[in-house]
Amino acid sequence: MLGGKTAKVKIDRDLFDRLRKVADVAGYATTEEFVAHVLEKEMLHFEDAGSDDDIRDKLKGLGYIS
Amino acid sequence: MLGFLKRTFRKQQGEPIVVVSGLPRSGTSMLMKMLDAGGMEIMTDSERTADIDNPKGYFEYERVKDLEKESDKSYVREGRGKVLKVISFLIKDLPDDNDYRVIFMRRNLDEVLASQNKMIQRLGTEDSTAAEEAMKEAYRNDIVRTRLLCKNRPNFELVEINYKNTVEDPVATAHSVNAFVGGHLDETAMREAVDSSLYRNRSKS
Repeated sequence: MLGGKTAKVKIDRDLFDRLRKVADVAGYATTEEFVAHVLEKEMLHFEDAGSDDDIRDKLKGLGYIS
Repeated sequence: MLGFLKRTFRKQQGEPIVVVSGLPRSGTSMLMKMLDAGGMEIMTDSERTADIDNPKGYFEYERVKDLEKESDKSYVREGRGKVLKVISFLIKDLPDDNDYRVIFMRRNLDEVLASQNKMIQRLGTEDSTAAEEAMKEAYRNDIVRTRLLCKNRPNFELVEINYKNTVEDPVATAHSVNAFVGGHLDETAMREAVDSSLYRNRSKS
């Protein structure tokens, strides 16, 4: 169940069917809940700049950060 | 709305700082050389000198390397009206009391990593333990983060410049970059600063 306001996003039907199956097996209450969870996790890669130790280590080796 | 905020900000912050950014080994030093040749003042301490990886120099300002850790960033203001090189990972750490025009260098990620790996081998420094594909994914995220940040912060404007296209057609890049920074640079000198022989790590694709 999604709280608050919602918006519709169109996706490929085959993809939706795959999502529905996985959501069911993984124990999500609804496919929407599963999709929201996956998107939230993916967004963190772009929004949380402080978590990227791989880049930090590489840049230190190259001498671009101290 | 964001356009209005960006215009208002520009009036309040004085001359913008031109930031040359991108992943290391994406052509940032080449772009710095172009801007230098074109007549822009570079904010550099010349501490990191030219070497085999960057035969024409790095054009860096050492203190920028501490942007993530340092709390006093007031020195960045000295870059107003000048060019400052800041790798994309540190763009988030630039203070908000300046207006920035970001020239974001883009290069094929396989080429970037190949060049970075050679540089780390030569330097003999410690490398990230991340696998090649994980590193590419991390860099893709870094690029998206930088684009999002420049879109969302009213004091940032961004233009993307492709490294390969610049080597192949420096006239077009010189014109685009000059237009982006105000149109007062010597475009002929800018294009002559591009040395295609330094495009050494070329992707086969």
